[in-house]
Amino acid sequence: MTAGAFIVAGALAGLAAGVAGAGAPIRRRVTVAAVLVWVACALEAAAAIRVLSTGHPIVLHFAELLPLTGVDLVLTPLGAFFVLLVAMVAVPATLHGIGYAPHGLDSRMAACAVPIFVTVLLLVPAAGSVATFMVLWELMALASLSLVLVDHGRREAARSAGTWYAVITHVGAALILVAFLILAAHSDGQSFAALRLGARHLAPDVRALVFVLALVGFGSKAGVVPFHVWLPKAHPEAPSPVSALMSGAMVALGVYGIVLVGDVVLGGGPVWWWLVVLALGAASALFGSLHAASSTDMKRLLAYSTTDNVGLALLALGASGLFDATRHPLLAALGLVAALVLLLNHAAFKGALFLSAGSVQTAAGTRDLDQLGGLLRRMPQTGAFFLVAAAAICALPPLNGFIGEWLLFQSLLHGADIGSTAGEIAIPLAVAAMALTAGLTVVAFVKAAGIGFLGRPRSEGADAAVEVPATMRMGVGLLVGVCIVIGVVPTLILPAVERAVRTALPGVGPLSLAHGVNLQLAGLRGVLEPAALAAAMVIAVAGVMGLRRVLARRPAPRVAEAWGCGRELQTARMQYTATSFAEPVQRVFDDVLRPVQDLDVSHVAESRYFVESVTFRNAVDDGIERGLYRPVIGVVRRWGRAARQLQPGSVHRYLAYGLGALVLVLVALAVIG
Amino acid sequence: MSLRATLQALWRARRVTEALPISEISFSGPRELVGSLQLRHVDAGSCNGCELEIASAFGPVYDAECFGARLVASPRHADGVLVTGPVTQNMVVPLVKTVEATPNPRVVIAVGDCARDCGVFRGGYGVVGAVGDVVPVDVSIPGCPPDPTAIIEALRSITRR
Repeated sequence: MTAGAFIVAGALAGLAAGVAGAGAPIRRRVTVAAVLVWVACALEAAAAIRVLSTGHPIVLHFAELLPLTGVDLVLTPLGAFFVLLVAMVAVPATLHGIGYAPHGLDSRMAACAVPIFVTVLLLVPAAGSVATFMVLWELMALASLSLVLVDHGRREAARSAGTWYAVITHVGAALILVAFLILAAHSDGQSFAALRLGARHLAPDVRALVFVLALVGFGSKAGVVPFHVWLPKAHPEAPSPVSALMSGAMVALGVYGIVLVGDVVLGGGPVWWWLVVLALGAASALFGSLHAASSTDMKRLLAYSTTDNVGLALLALGASGLFDATRHPLLAALGLVAALVLLLNHAAFKGALFLSAGSVQTAAGTRDLDQLGGLLRRMPQTGAFFLVAAAAICALPPLNGFIGEWLLFQSLLHGADIGSTAGEIAIPLAVAAMALTAGLTVVAFVKAAGIGFLGRPRSEGADAAVEVPATMRMGVGLLVGVCIVIGVVPTLILPAVERAVRTALPGVGPLSLAHGVNLQLAGLRGVLEPAALAAAMVIAVAGVMGLRRVLARRPAPRVAEAWGCGRELQTARMQYTATSFAEPVQRVFDDVLRPVQDLDVSHVAESRYFVESVTFRNAVDDGIERGLYRPVIGVVRRWGRAARQLQPGSVHRYLAYGLGALVLVLVALAVIG
Repeated sequence: MSLRATLQALWRARRVTEALPISEISFSGPRELVGSLQLRHVDAGSCNGCELEIASAFGPVYDAECFGARLVASPRHADGVLVTGPVTQNMVVPLVKTVEATPNPRVVIAVGDCARDCGVFRGGYGVVGAVGDVVPVDVSIPGCPPDPTAIIEALRSITRR
């Protein structure tokens, strides 16, 4: 079988999964669809691995599938990397989905849309022409939109989230389309290879316009500030396996789009383009991590953290472009490697976190951190997986997050003198932004893990929670396993990443980051020995535990009540909550977050010295949504209301409109002609 | 000691009381607490007379800290509990919980006559009993209120310094 056949067979298996999901009886449909999705993922991953190992792209053309243009599939090493990323999230997510199914994923629509969504995600990076890309891109948006709306009958929030997502993603798609149309108008054909040739002769202004349009369009899909507002709405409302796919895989394809247009098609650009990317990345990272630190809804927190992680990837991408523009190919390649590794890591740990948030939601009936607690004892495996994934996202060694941030820091720190004044100012600022982001991420995930899983349960639902079915645990466990493996032996993936990077930056010589099991930066100073680091940590922890056991001569511990200042009544409400944990951060960043706080105290009628009830409300809403989107929505709404007056329901007036329009056109024709 | 003598002693920047030689103080605590005694104070219903004397004992004039005793903010940090007053109804549970929250080996020190035998409050409607009726007491300090020197002597009987 040729490599191209793998792609076709994978796509067919994905479609068959969709059909099976829609057709099979309710008890088996999700399982059957999931198994077929795994087949699809395996076939596409096989093709991707083939491309990454040989370095030769697979080119397919089906003239009959799409009228006028046909379907072009070109799987480059860069695309193959993203296919592997999607497959890595899709298999655990659908496995988790089998257990999750009774909680809203077993309707015909959902069971059909999930496989279609996965199949399209697998094919988008393989699209080789504008028409194919836009069709797949739109299918991806529609499939995910229908999954966000799965719960629309019961939840008003799902309908609102669907509207936000639909509008933003379609405006983004329109901008992408305009960018591609401009390119295609100056090219001989509409395949990306033709666009690349055509883009060489474009005027700098046009190139800049194309880049900015694509940046905004793909940025809206990637959840970059200020186009991120749909993320914290849509991710919490979608079923958790879908959230994992959207956050882990779909958002990464937004960044793929920016690399595709910026590096592959346009072949890089002037410094200011990349400074914009760098600034957007830094803003996203800071804004996302800050809101994650102050969110109390577990999935909303994870959604903001997605913005944060995409921001870091854009930071790496911007730095890479900056180095490319100032002719530092080695650093540029390192930056792009960092961006891709960051995206892969994000897919692994954020997928695991979203899936375990789904497990928690099904077990405890809520995802509000202020209602959770004590889950580690009730759901030991889910809890342990969540803790490992949270440690990974905080970039603690020996997990994968550390590798990604190490690469990013190395590329930024080595870029201190690149011969561009603006760049030399921007790079240290980026390092500072990254450092603050790392700290805020730790706050967010200490809160998520500590408040959610430790302590005592804060609600009856959390108290009654039991461990979820094995499929859900295995789904999370697979992704946590990926986090650990990449963290300990990153050299497994680095050759593939380097090959992917060479598609985008063809002029780069071999980086050869992998030296046995160690990382070494060729031509730069910087060595990391992750396996040795992991071994040292394991030995240190085991040694301390062993020494403690040998040396301790203490009497047997006495179990006593937690110290509550001697109060007679001790309840779970006396614990730290997510809100109170975030309060200091919220106070420090008061000017940015602008929380809405309300304190109502009512007194008994007889005396003002006696309080009847105290009501306190504290909400942190999105400042960008309030400041940027609400006014626009208000204007649109006013226009809509004004336009409504044109349609009073009178047939006579409608006929008059028709006549008037005809006369106007005739007059216009007479004047022009 | 007269005010004048106290002020003179302060002016000369040394302790007001000259400590008894340690050999004259009987030993009355667990071996582990010798040298350092961290205390959590519980007011179980005192008139605050004993509190003034305790504050004075730990102040610069009498300076109990130089004998190894120190007041801390939580029983989790403490080796012992310093209890004053008769135990009132509202303070029974907090007192028991505070003693329970103090890690072993620990001492319970009843300061003042009220803590020993309810003093003038004996038979009061809100009084449950003396400290010894609620938790086991290791050291008692008589007096209404006890002199700071008496408090320090009792503490030194545990710290041996």
